[in-house]
Amino acid sequence: MLISENISFRYRKNKKQTLSDLNVKTDDGDLTAVMGESGSGKSTFLAVMAGILKPDQGKVLFNGEDIYSLDDRKLSDIHLRHISYVPQSNIMLKHLTVIENIICAFKETEDEGTLKERALALMDKLGISELGEKFPYELSGGELKRASLVRAVLMSPDILIADEPTTGLDKVTGDRILNFLREYADGKRSVLVATHDEHIKDYADKIVTIERSLR
Amino acid sequence: MVSELRSTINSVKSRAFHSSCLITATALLSFMLFSGIVIDRSLNNGMKNMDRRLGADLMIVPKGAKEKAENLILEGQRGTFYFDGSVDDRIREVEGIKEVTAQCFLKSLSADCCSSEVELVFYDPETDFIVGPWIAENYSNSIGPDSVIVGSDIVCENGTIKLFGKEYKVLSSMAKTGTALDTSVYFPSDAMPAVLADAEAKSSFLTEEQKDGDILSSVFVNIEDGYDTSKVIEKCRQKVGDVDVVYLKQLNESLSDNLLKITDVLEFVLIAGTVLIFVILVLINSVIINDRKQEIALSRILGRSKKKICNALIKETGCISLFGSFIGCGLGALIVIPFGRYIGMKLDMPYLGPGAAASVIQLTVIMIIVFLISLFSSLFVVIKTTNIEPYLALKKEAE
Repeated sequence: MLISENISFRYRKNKKQTLSDLNVKTDDGDLTAVMGESGSGKSTFLAVMAGILKPDQGKVLFNGEDIYSLDDRKLSDIHLRHISYVPQSNIMLKHLTVIENIICAFKETEDEGTLKERALALMDKLGISELGEKFPYELSGGELKRASLVRAVLMSPDILIADEPTTGLDKVTGDRILNFLREYADGKRSVLVATHDEHIKDYADKIVTIERSLR
Repeated sequence: MVSELRSTINSVKSRAFHSSCLITATALLSFMLFSGIVIDRSLNNGMKNMDRRLGADLMIVPKGAKEKAENLILEGQRGTFYFDGSVDDRIREVEGIKEVTAQCFLKSLSADCCSSEVELVFYDPETDFIVGPWIAENYSNSIGPDSVIVGSDIVCENGTIKLFGKEYKVLSSMAKTGTALDTSVYFPSDAMPAVLADAEAKSSFLTEEQKDGDILSSVFVNIEDGYDTSKVIEKCRQKVGDVDVVYLKQLNESLSDNLLKITDVLEFVLIAGTVLIFVILVLINSVIINDRKQEIALSRILGRSKKKICNALIKETGCISLFGSFIGCGLGALIVIPFGRYIGMKLDMPYLGPGAAASVIQLTVIMIIVFLISLFSSLFVVIKTTNIEPYLALKKEAE
């Protein structure tokens, strides 16, 4: 369970208030969609919830503990095992193959063979199992998005946060991803998604709308 | 461990251009430090070496041979200059003279032992205070007409050396001087007539003076305490006629002044060069880390702590600086070590290059210094970057 309490944030660069007093709670088994027009602060809110952007005010509670009060080692452990984030841009290390990109961050914690096996099963589920040995530049945007998703769920985190996971994808691939997210939430985990895609309403348990007027 | 190393090397290889820039800068730094330190140490060694080697106050040589005599002191290059064989005895009679020893040089005679020519030095073991202190290994037997002492670069088989068809027992070798003295063979002076006869029999070219045999090249003198050096020199001149005198202490002082000037310039160049390359390294690292902001942010999002990321980046720095140091020091060694004597000649200074062990120590120390410089040049940007909120780094909006 992930709870935001009175979250406020403003970017230092433009001084404009992006988030103001936001309170959101994600329950186990729920897929929560964060919606709103472009520039409303959906991505910023997700980043705050993921523990990668410290809010100016408020708390983000994971298992009752404010993740921003933790030291770097504990916060890293939370990112490794409990809260996973899929960024909007598909960032992969260009000198590693797709499968190496997926498992490289976790090699220190688990056996490489087990990680590869698990990654291949997840890639198969998302229809990219044959792409493991390819390099990121050989993949399309949709394929990269799915590979990023596999990397995010490889350690079966309790909370999965995905920023615009279906943007720029065709309907079949988008549905495949949304189905995957739904299934993931059904496994007693929380999924938090920022999207413009109205289609998410068919999959989400809860919709949070952020108004642009907050700024 | 192996997979970690492979991953570090792959990461370095993946940024070929940036890594090449860093390797070039570290190689340049290592080359500069290695060459500079070797030259500095060698000049200092050469100076100390010369200081210890010349245990005399004066060197008296025939008129007109002063320059050749100074060359002998600095570079060990012997010339053929002679006065008659009684000069040392006459100088010994001068008041204020504490000790006198004479040497005679036969320049560049080919020997069966060596591919290059060797120089023969005849000295008087009874009065000697120049050759003796410079012998590296002590020997029990006194030197006789069939035995020799050799310079450090002369290789002899089974403890003997063959010259003009005759075998001589090698009693000992001299300590290294880094000069032409290292390829000299030292005979007792009473062996001179026989050696000259052998040389003539083997068709070696000898001058009329050399054939005559009763000759000396230089007389080394120590003056009694309390005597005025210039007055003693004057008396020597009165006794033996017009001769040139090399005042070794004066020469030593002038060389020490030169050495100080050279090492000051060298140290300035080294410090300025190191600071400049450090700035270049900081700039290159800033560009690299700026390019890697997203990658670093992603690592943090995936659960790598700042400490682990810093460690990984330090390993990359280590890998790059190690490679750069090898190239730089290797290049430095290839240029500076073989041309050491030439550098000394160009600077008009005694030059004694470091031995193998000293070179290895120097190499290790320089590699550590270069690693630390590389590390400090990247540390600030690494720490700054890992402290940026990962989301801001992902969006490239970091301020």
